[in-house]
Amino acid sequence: MPFAPQGLTISKPSGKVNPNLAAMNQDAPLTRRIPCWPYADPKGRHVVGYDEYVKTGGYVGLRKALSMKPDAVTEEVKKSVLRGRGGAGFPCGLKWTFLPKLAANADGSEADPGQRYLAVNADESEPGTFKDRLLMDFDPHLLLEGIAIACYACRIKTAFIFIRGEYHHQAHVLEQAIKEAYAHGVFGGKGLLGGTNTARGGTWAVDCHVHRGAGAYICGEETGLLEALEGKRGWPRIKPPFPAVKGLFGKPTIINNVETLAHLPSIIEHGGEWFNKQGVVSSLGGNNPPSHGTKLMGVSGHVNRPGVYECELGIPLRVLVEELCGGIRHGKKFKGAIAGGISMGILGPDQYDAEMDFDIGRKYNVLGLGTACPTVFDEDTDMVAVTRNIARFFKHESCGQCTPCREGSGWLYQLMQRIEKGDAKTKDLDLALEIATSMGSMPGTTICGLADGNNWAVRTIMNKYWSEFEKRVKPTFVPVKVSIGACAKAR
Amino acid sequence: MAWITKNSASQKVERRDQPYLTAAMKDDLTKRVLPRYEKSLGALLPALHMIQHEYGWVPHQAMLEVAAFLKIAPSDVIDTASFYEEYSLRPRGKYVVQVCRSIACEFCGHEKVTQAVKDALGIDVGETTDDGMFTLVELECLGSCDTAPVALVNEHLHERLTPERMVAVLAEVKAGKGGH
Repeated sequence: MPFAPQGLTISKPSGKVNPNLAAMNQDAPLTRRIPCWPYADPKGRHVVGYDEYVKTGGYVGLRKALSMKPDAVTEEVKKSVLRGRGGAGFPCGLKWTFLPKLAANADGSEADPGQRYLAVNADESEPGTFKDRLLMDFDPHLLLEGIAIACYACRIKTAFIFIRGEYHHQAHVLEQAIKEAYAHGVFGGKGLLGGTNTARGGTWAVDCHVHRGAGAYICGEETGLLEALEGKRGWPRIKPPFPAVKGLFGKPTIINNVETLAHLPSIIEHGGEWFNKQGVVSSLGGNNPPSHGTKLMGVSGHVNRPGVYECELGIPLRVLVEELCGGIRHGKKFKGAIAGGISMGILGPDQYDAEMDFDIGRKYNVLGLGTACPTVFDEDTDMVAVTRNIARFFKHESCGQCTPCREGSGWLYQLMQRIEKGDAKTKDLDLALEIATSMGSMPGTTICGLADGNNWAVRTIMNKYWSEFEKRVKPTFVPVKVSIGACAKAR
Repeated sequence: MAWITKNSASQKVERRDQPYLTAAMKDDLTKRVLPRYEKSLGALLPALHMIQHEYGWVPHQAMLEVAAFLKIAPSDVIDTASFYEEYSLRPRGKYVVQVCRSIACEFCGHEKVTQAVKDALGIDVGETTDDGMFTLVELECLGSCDTAPVALVNEHLHERLTPERMVAVLAEVKAGKGGH
C-alpha cells in the first residue's frame, strides 16, 4: 500500500535527514514548501512570502482555474472526490453544488448571484489537532490560493477566514499574507489576479478577511462559526436551512476547512484524476466513497518525534508511529491512540494496525477519522485519567444550548472524577455508559455533534479498557457470608 | 462556561470620564472593519478584541461604549462578551500565563509546569499576583500538541516547557524581555 507522496517508500529514519529524500518533498501537495520529516529538517521552516510562493509554482492552479468555466472547476473537484479535511469527510465538490443554481440572463450570460460567502474554518480547537496551524504558520498563500479558487468556482464575493482566538501569531501571518495578496492583485476590486485570464468566466472580484474567534470550541461547528462571524454567541443553528442555502447573514454560504482548501490548487493544476491516484479506495467495497489524496497527520503524545506528517490516506497507524515518528517514547509499548481529535474515540491496543482513512470509523468502532491527528499513549498511561480529561474538556466547552449535552457532560465529568479518586461503585460505570449513550446520538437529542463526540470518546475508552475502570471502583453489592448453623445457635 | 450565571447583582461598575473606545479605535473600526460585515453586529468580536488587547480586559463601560458605537443593544454585547472565554470581564494581571491542560499537554506533564508557576508566583490557578503583574489561568487546547506542554504568556506561545523553562520565561517577562 503506497502511503507516501508519489509512491515513495520511506525507510526507517535514522534521526538524521536523508539527503536523498529532501528532494522528494517537492511532490507533496500541501507541504512542499514546508520542511517536514522525514524529507527535511523542520528547523528550516520560514514563512513563505508571495514572491517565493510564485517562484515555487504558486498561483498556477488559480491561473488555470480562471481559464476554465466555474462549473468546470467544480466538476474537477467533484471528480477528485476531495473529502472534507475538517472531520466529517463530506465531499467538497458535492457541498459546493448545494448552492442555489445561478439564473441566466436573457442573452444567456450568467446572472449576478448576489452576495454569497465562503467561511474558512480555521477554528482548530479540538485537543490533539494542530495540522492547519502548520499551513497558516508557514505557507499562508496556499490557503489564499485555495480560497480564490473556491470563490471563483462557487461565485462567491467575500471570504472570511475564521481563525481561533488563541492563534495570535497565525492570524498575524495571515493578515500579512492577505495584504501581500491584495498588493499583487490576487484579491481586490480589479478581479482575481488583477482581472487577467478571464476569458471563460469573466472577471471575478473577491475580498478576503480574517475574523478572529475568542476561545470557544463550539465555533468550530459550522453553524456555530457563522453565529460567531455575525457577532453573536456561538450557538449552533438548527438545520435545515443548511448554510449553503441560508448561512452567514442569511446568504448562501460555503464552509470549508483550511486543509480542504489548500488541496484545491494542486487538484486544479494536475486534475482530479491525478488526485485519485493517491490514497485508497474504500476497503469496505461497494459504493462506499474512497479516501483519496494526502492528509496532514499531526501525531502528538508519547512518541519520539511528534509533529505534522503529510501521508497518503490509508497509512496504517503503526507505520505512522513506528517509522515516521520514531516509535513510542522510551521504547515503551503502545497502549492506545485517539483516532483524530478527542471526540473521535480511541483505538485500542489491538487496533495499532488500523488504516488511517475515512473507513476507520466503521471498521474499528470509533466515530471516524476526524482530523487524522492521533494522540498516542504508552503503556503507563492511566486511561481513567484520559477519560476524566476528555470529560472535563466537553463539560467546559459545551455551549449550554441543549440540555442533554449541558447536563450530561457535567455529570460525566463528576462520575469520572469519582472513579479516578476511587470513590465510585460498580453501578457508576453503568451509569456513566448510560449517560454517555443517551446524551448524544445524532440525529435526535442535540442540535450539533458535540454531545456525540463526548459520547463516543467516553464510551469507546470505557468499553476498550473496561478492566481498568473495574479495578478502580468498589463493588455495589457486598456479598455477606452467613452461616445458618451460627444463626440457629444464636437463637 | 457562558451559561453559568454571573454574580452581577452585587457587581460594582467602575466608570471613568475618559472613554475606553478611543477615537483611533473608532476610526479603525469605521474604515477597516465595519465595511466587511452586512450588519454592524458582525464587527462586535473585532471591537471587543481591540478593547481586550488594549486594556487586558473588557470593562463594563467599554461594552456600553461599543454598543453605542455599533448601534446595537448593550445586552447583545454582554451576551457575546460573556460567552467567549478570551474576553475577560474582570481585570487581570499585566501578563496572563495560560497553561494548556488538554490531553496531550496533561500526559506530557502540564501539571509540573502549572505547579512551577504557582510556586514561583505564589498564586493559585485563576488568581492574580498582588503587584498586578501576573494572572495564572489553565485552559483547554492551544493547538500545539506536538510541542506539549505549552503555555501562552499574553500572545506569545512557549513550547516544550519544563518547570525550569517556565520559571525562566517568567523571569524574562518580569525583566521586560522577549517582547511580551
